[in-house]
Amino acid sequence: MRITPRARTRVAAVAVVAGAATFALSACGSGSDGGADQKIASAAPTHLSGTVSLWHFFSDREAKVIQGVVDDFEKANPDVKVVVHSGQDDEKLRKAIAAGNDVDVAISYSTDIVGNFCQSGAFQDLAKYIARDKVDIGQLLPTARNYTEFDGKRCAMPVLADTYGLYYNKALLSKAGIDAPPKTLDELESDALKLTTYNSDGSIKTLGFNPWMGYQEMAPAHLASATGAKWLDDDGKSVVGSDPGWKELIEWQKSFAEKIGIDKLKKFTAASADEFSAQNDFEIGRVAMNLDGEWRVAFMKDQAPKVDYGTVPFPTAADHTDLYGGGYITGNIGGIAKGSKNPELAWALLKYLTADTSAVVKLANGLQNVPTISSAFDSPDLVRDPHFETFLKIAQDKNSLTTPPSPNGAGYQLAFADWWQKYQTTPGTSDLDAQLKKVDDQINAAASLNSVP
Amino acid sequence: MTQLDATLDVTAGARAAGTPQPARERRRRQPVLLWVAEHVVLVALAVLFVAPVVFVFLTSVMNNDQALTSSLWPDHWAWSNYVHVFDVAPLAAWFGNSAMYAVLATAFMLVSSVPAAYALARIEFRGANLIFLAIIVAMLLPPQVVTIPQYVMWTKLHLTGTLWPLILPNLLGDAFSIFLLRQFFLTIPNEYAEAARIDGAGELRVIWKVVLPMAKPGIAATAMFLFFHSWNDYYGPLLYTSESDPAHWPVALGMATFKGAHSVDWSTTMALTMLVMVPVVVLFFFAQRAFVEGVTLTGVKG
Amino acid sequence: MTTLTETRPAGVPRTPAGGPATRRRSGLRRHRQRVALLLVSPALLGLLIFFVYPLVATVFYSFTHYDLVSSPRWVGLANYKYLFTQDPSVVQAARNTLWFVVFMVPIRIVCAAAVAALLTRPRRTTGVFRTIFYLPALVPPVASVLAFVYLFNPGLGPVNRILKVFGIEGPLWFNDPHWAKPSLLLLAIWMMGDVMIIILAALLDVPRDQYEAASIDGAKGYQKAWFITIPNLRPVIVFSVVTGVIAALQYFTEAAVAAGVASGKALVGEGTGAGLGYPEGSTLTYPQWLYVEGFSNYALGYASALAVVLFVVAGGFVVFLLRRTKAFTGSGS
Repeated sequence: MRITPRARTRVAAVAVVAGAATFALSACGSGSDGGADQKIASAAPTHLSGTVSLWHFFSDREAKVIQGVVDDFEKANPDVKVVVHSGQDDEKLRKAIAAGNDVDVAISYSTDIVGNFCQSGAFQDLAKYIARDKVDIGQLLPTARNYTEFDGKRCAMPVLADTYGLYYNKALLSKAGIDAPPKTLDELESDALKLTTYNSDGSIKTLGFNPWMGYQEMAPAHLASATGAKWLDDDGKSVVGSDPGWKELIEWQKSFAEKIGIDKLKKFTAASADEFSAQNDFEIGRVAMNLDGEWRVAFMKDQAPKVDYGTVPFPTAADHTDLYGGGYITGNIGGIAKGSKNPELAWALLKYLTADTSAVVKLANGLQNVPTISSAFDSPDLVRDPHFETFLKIAQDKNSLTTPPSPNGAGYQLAFADWWQKYQTTPGTSDLDAQLKKVDDQINAAASLNSVP
Repeated sequence: MTQLDATLDVTAGARAAGTPQPARERRRRQPVLLWVAEHVVLVALAVLFVAPVVFVFLTSVMNNDQALTSSLWPDHWAWSNYVHVFDVAPLAAWFGNSAMYAVLATAFMLVSSVPAAYALARIEFRGANLIFLAIIVAMLLPPQVVTIPQYVMWTKLHLTGTLWPLILPNLLGDAFSIFLLRQFFLTIPNEYAEAARIDGAGELRVIWKVVLPMAKPGIAATAMFLFFHSWNDYYGPLLYTSESDPAHWPVALGMATFKGAHSVDWSTTMALTMLVMVPVVVLFFFAQRAFVEGVTLTGVKG
Repeated sequence: MTTLTETRPAGVPRTPAGGPATRRRSGLRRHRQRVALLLVSPALLGLLIFFVYPLVATVFYSFTHYDLVSSPRWVGLANYKYLFTQDPSVVQAARNTLWFVVFMVPIRIVCAAAVAALLTRPRRTTGVFRTIFYLPALVPPVASVLAFVYLFNPGLGPVNRILKVFGIEGPLWFNDPHWAKPSLLLLAIWMMGDVMIIILAALLDVPRDQYEAASIDGAKGYQKAWFITIPNLRPVIVFSVVTGVIAALQYFTEAAVAAGVASGKALVGEGTGAGLGYPEGSTLTYPQWLYVEGFSNYALGYASALAVVLFVVAGGFVVFLLRRTKAFTGSGS
């Protein structure tokens, strides 16, 4: 069989017809955009009724906590039915919103989607509801306030926060003759080397601290508070290459990892059990100190109640001791999806989950996450476990940092982390500046690709 | 077991028709050394091929604590893992969804593709060549080339989140199946159909009464391919159903996220792996002939 | 296999065309034409809706910024500029996919041919062996991947434990950027049964009288292999290469599942896209990158540009193939 010239013209004709169909279809889709100009009632409805869907990413134990608060909401509003979809990650959430799959309120795992969702209109602008119902945004933790808006547009509310600090195993530290947890990166390194033990074949048995970039929570964002390193400037351009804080962290991390031995670390890390399983390295004493989020306190209680441990803010660089006390803050965020059929009811639910003191306290206690409104911090009902107290303080510390929203989502963090993971295995440090410059270019190019023109 | 052997030899024999087929006995005695060497290699290879399944099985009956420890043999036969799997994940629903996907996709494909393949193979009509060429191209291009507009299309129809975007298109033909079926129809002698036509049978009657019965093996093989393709499909369900609740997933998608999502241990994961492998093997022994004929006739994998 | 290279068995006349054109015949012909159109119309509609239209739409989207939530906006060549000059991942993804094309395709075929050759001799145990080597091809790939990631666990996985018995320190397999692709290759070899069966069928198909004639002429073993076996296998090998390359260009599932399971990270909240490529992007394939851009980063316009490039590469290969080998379409007309 050959393609005859006549067949070719026919292919072309078909292509033209199909092409016309494309434009027709895409024109169909451009009905309502974002819903920025939506009109809302002048007063919040006094009686709520109907069905509203809540999408969130939690599963198992944590999903039950959410359900408890949802039950309270339904009890207070007997005519309302909340349909909960649990276990929905950001990828799925985005697909569901785009497909118009009946999403009203959505809770996302990370702040990373805020830039993208605000910009594309996947989350509706909340400004009018907030102004009408006089919700006090000043109650929010300053960092949480920042990461829930993009380009001056508030399209999300913080649903609890996560903060990062240092966990240390008291028994292992005292056995090695270390009486206080490290406060600087240098101390962290020297303590870690002291705490590290080896098997007879030279492989690592237990590790003081795993400096391997990519291990569990070892990510650039979680280390930034140690030197106050910044990601983006005011125009959203990457400053990863020019902020000296990053270079300091990279050099510290690399020389630390090399002292233990890259191959040994690799092997040790590859043999680690799942971070969220009961065989978590810190919980079984395989590492003595670990960078981790506040949620680990709840996991410890659940999975390793016998381990005697402490929590402190993550150490800072020796020349940045003024920053001690801060840490990385991020959190879950909630918004009203584009295409919500009952936005008033959705807003009522979102407001309850994020601005009602008793609901926020109940969520914080249940999930062992940090609350995001000051009234919750003051509430006597907030359970203040001493391990957890550290993280409440980190959340309120003025030196705590977050990762800024970007239209590229977490793309800039991933690009940097990817580069760093490769860099740690390449010997030599000669062209660090040039390499970081390339990371900058890469981040900026990706951001412009993902910005609405 | 020997049926696979017989099937292959029969097909080979049939195709070598006309040449004298020597009897099964060895014509000349192989040197003993060569015989031993060949067997040693074969047995060693077979052990390598079977070993993964053996280890998976052994791990699936170990206690959680024993998986990935120095002992490879279970201390204690924990058959309860096979019960535990059903508690950790909606396994029955997963198998049900996979079955629905595979059965409906296959049934729909047969309804649409058998007639199309017959027309392309046995009737001369304007445009036949062009259509067949398009089918070959559609079959050979990676599906990712057309993924995005297809996804957008299903989004607008509000059918994402379900398996329908993967099932429904089969009602309008499946390129690979049409290709296979056409190849098969071409091997069926035309005389019977001609005879029926001369007796005054209409074309549809000819297809139904004469051609389809003769095409059964080819149709069975094609159906088998699509059934397995759908049963094993991971990319399609990942794209279309990952945002719905796990209970709506087919088993391939469910098991891919199984270990991470539920922090499940290796023993339970390997029990699930066994549960997924076994039905395939069982089905193979029941339908060996269709499998082997399918593969050897078409030389294409699903 | 013969069915692939010949449109119809020799001696079977083509349908009525060319016969004596009696009234009854031409009426029959028109009837058959109508029937044919009826029979192919669903498939034709399917081709237009699910193939031709998406192909054109992909090209259109590739010139837009499209995030699925708001409507597409024209951006000219911006996506292509990013693709060819700025995207660091696309280079890595394309290289990985090329690696699979270059290594996986031929190695699988060679292994399959070697095993098939061992299985041609009729003996009592052949059936058992054929079944053992064929079955892994039928096992759902996701299950096979789970099994392999477990077996090749760098810590105390069975493979490294057994290697240790022989004094070999096993590599990190799926957890090492240098070993992840070879590990996937081992998996692909384990699953080579389909190729093996095709080659085996072709081997059994070689007319024995050719060998006998060669023996009488005093040909040696390797001469018989070179002058009889290989030429007879050519169509099968061409076919295996073609389908192998096509499969390698769309290689997705095994690499995706292996990365997700081996990384041991619970990707709670982030989604599948975040786990692809582990470790260090060494298993990120081109179609995976397309998926990440399209469905994790919501850059559907850019993902479409990636699709267009894939179309050009795969399409070029298909055209080359259709012209050169005549597999698939046959040598008829």
